[in-house]
Amino acid sequence: MNRKIILIGLNHRTAGVEVREKFALTDVENFEKGLMAHCPVNECMALSTCNRVEIIAITENVPERDALDSLIQYWAGVCKGSPELLVDNIYQYSDMEAVHQVFTVACSLDSMVMGEPQILGQLKDAYRTAVEKGTARTIINRLLHKSFSVAKRVRTETAIASSAVSISFAAVELAKKIFGDLEGTKAMLVGAGEMAELAATHLLHNGVQDVIIANRTLSRAKELANSMGGEPIQIENLPDRLHEVDIVISSTGSPVAVIKAKDVKNVLKKRKNKPMFFIDIAVPRDIDPDVNSLDNVYLYDIDDLKEVVDENMAQRQEEATKAKAVVELETTVFGNWLNSLELQPTIVDMVDKTEDVALRELNKTLKRIGPVDEKSRKALETLVLSVARKSLHEPICFLKRRTQEEGSAERFIDMARRMFNLDDESIPPEAHLDRKPDACTSEDIEKLIDISKNKEQ
Amino acid sequence: MGLFESLHIFIIALYALGTVLFLVGVSTDNDKLKRVAIWLAVAGFTFNTIDLALVLGRDTAALNAGKFYFNILAWCVLAVYFFLWWRLRLEFLAITALPLALLLFVASLALGGIRIVMPPELTVLFFGLHIGSLVLTLGVLMMAFGAGLAFIYYNRKLKTKAGLSSLGKDVPSLDKFDTVNRWAVVIGFPLFTLGLFSTFFWYWIAPGKIFTWDIMKIGSLAVWFLYAFLFHQRVVLGWRGRKPAILAIWVFAGMCVSLIHHTITFRAMP
Repeated sequence: MNRKIILIGLNHRTAGVEVREKFALTDVENFEKGLMAHCPVNECMALSTCNRVEIIAITENVPERDALDSLIQYWAGVCKGSPELLVDNIYQYSDMEAVHQVFTVACSLDSMVMGEPQILGQLKDAYRTAVEKGTARTIINRLLHKSFSVAKRVRTETAIASSAVSISFAAVELAKKIFGDLEGTKAMLVGAGEMAELAATHLLHNGVQDVIIANRTLSRAKELANSMGGEPIQIENLPDRLHEVDIVISSTGSPVAVIKAKDVKNVLKKRKNKPMFFIDIAVPRDIDPDVNSLDNVYLYDIDDLKEVVDENMAQRQEEATKAKAVVELETTVFGNWLNSLELQPTIVDMVDKTEDVALRELNKTLKRIGPVDEKSRKALETLVLSVARKSLHEPICFLKRRTQEEGSAERFIDMARRMFNLDDESIPPEAHLDRKPDACTSEDIEKLIDISKNKEQ
Repeated sequence: MGLFESLHIFIIALYALGTVLFLVGVSTDNDKLKRVAIWLAVAGFTFNTIDLALVLGRDTAALNAGKFYFNILAWCVLAVYFFLWWRLRLEFLAITALPLALLLFVASLALGGIRIVMPPELTVLFFGLHIGSLVLTLGVLMMAFGAGLAFIYYNRKLKTKAGLSSLGKDVPSLDKFDTVNRWAVVIGFPLFTLGLFSTFFWYWIAPGKIFTWDIMKIGSLAVWFLYAFLFHQRVVLGWRGRKPAILAIWVFAGMCVSLIHHTITFRAMP
């Protein structure tokens, strides 16, 4: 069987924004259907985000070059672009390299902000679409399921996604280090800049109870208060309300300091020294740097926050090395599974597994009945192995017949491998939300067999 | 080796292993190690409780003499730690609680020989008022000491913008450390006051005892004044954060000196 996994794509590293815009897929569902109809592929899936477009296709008995050319032609045609321009800006992988790339993308190792979680969600959405349209079958199904589990493994085994890599997220993390749980805290936005708004939104999502928005133009403050919830005030009223808030985010265009150290000193007295966190993202700065020297007051300006972000980015790079090792390992595991999608290794695995069960059961019985002579032991062993092999005759015969039918070999072999659990997979409890969480221990199955047989009689 | 010796060695082993594993867990950021360390501490605490119960069950006069005080203190430190862990999820304070419990337990074996003379019918009252409250105060102050050191260290890190990684992934917030300090002040100071001033009562009831001012009592009173100052600043003036953390460390240091002084003085008594 001459099966190939092909992956072509472009991303923020290989293509500029104009090219990415040009070749972005706006109607992925129809694109996938079109690929199946016009290109020599058995399965396909497309992922299109603002930073990347990737097409995964499975071909069979077609020269790789032909399959690639037809994919490029079709993609360029759909996007009304030149195939030459597309070729100049894409990367191409096949087989294990393609698998490696899918895992790398799922683990967010290839993202612009390494470790960001959105890509996994986008990949899941793309996969769901392909399943719904029937363009994802045995191999893509398995590849994507595997990529989700690899991504999960990377997230739990490495700290790639644990640190803040955006200014607003860093601000939230720092606030948590001061106040712990942000539940019940109150924040104030001084000035209604976009970045301050983003930081405030992050804070609100993390438990901050209320926001006061102080701005020169009250109408803009009101507008923002309506969109994010909060209380708009005129900036002149700021000193009277400052003692009420725990976190202050400032981003005005004022050329002089809006909040001075001596004002904060008085505010602290009113607050009975309850801690305050000032985030100054304005340039020139809005908050007097001396504020940081007061006890129980913490001031971070834009450069401080950037340093935090840079440090975390460097930390993520270190974690990426560990993550890459996981991806390498899982790619090899997936390669083993791909190789097993032939009839012969599957038969060997089935027989091995059944013989293993037979011998284990024999040993248990021998332990129960006590010592037996070598001759009897050999005879019993031959008996159980023979029963094990004979019980597989019909399933093997069925598989052999099915795999001779055009296009169904992989499906049936994969099904047999799953039925006999030849790859020792464990199914996570949340894998099938619509199914009852039935127990599948040996005892449960024995009980089920007994009940079923009794009912039959 | 008798039952008691074996039990003591076992408790020391549990506390020591817990201490080492927790310190390694903190330095390598290994949650599993930290969890194992806490469970070892729980096991050590359980056996420590059994040990105390066995000692008392065998002879209640043990309260008046011997290696009992530091043993209770070790037990109390862990009891306060478990309470704080339960209320504030402050697992981190094991960094202070486990080594101190180990140290105090080992000290209880080494520093025997304190003898207290009192009428047997007043033993419970004496322990309830004087020793009980002072031991509890010390337990609370030990936690405040750990929390105070942590607060000063992480406060400095935050102020100097040392970065999020230097603040540790699982390190509690500054607010949590400050809460320990608040509890140490609000609960600890009244207990200490009760413990200290019950001494007068003790002198009044103990046979052949006359109250006189000596360096030991003056030292204890000085610690009380320092503690009272902390209580006033924190509760009345609303001090928070760095200053009460530093003061709590000083109060704890004063208490330690006073405790060592008491131990030496009582050991020297006939």
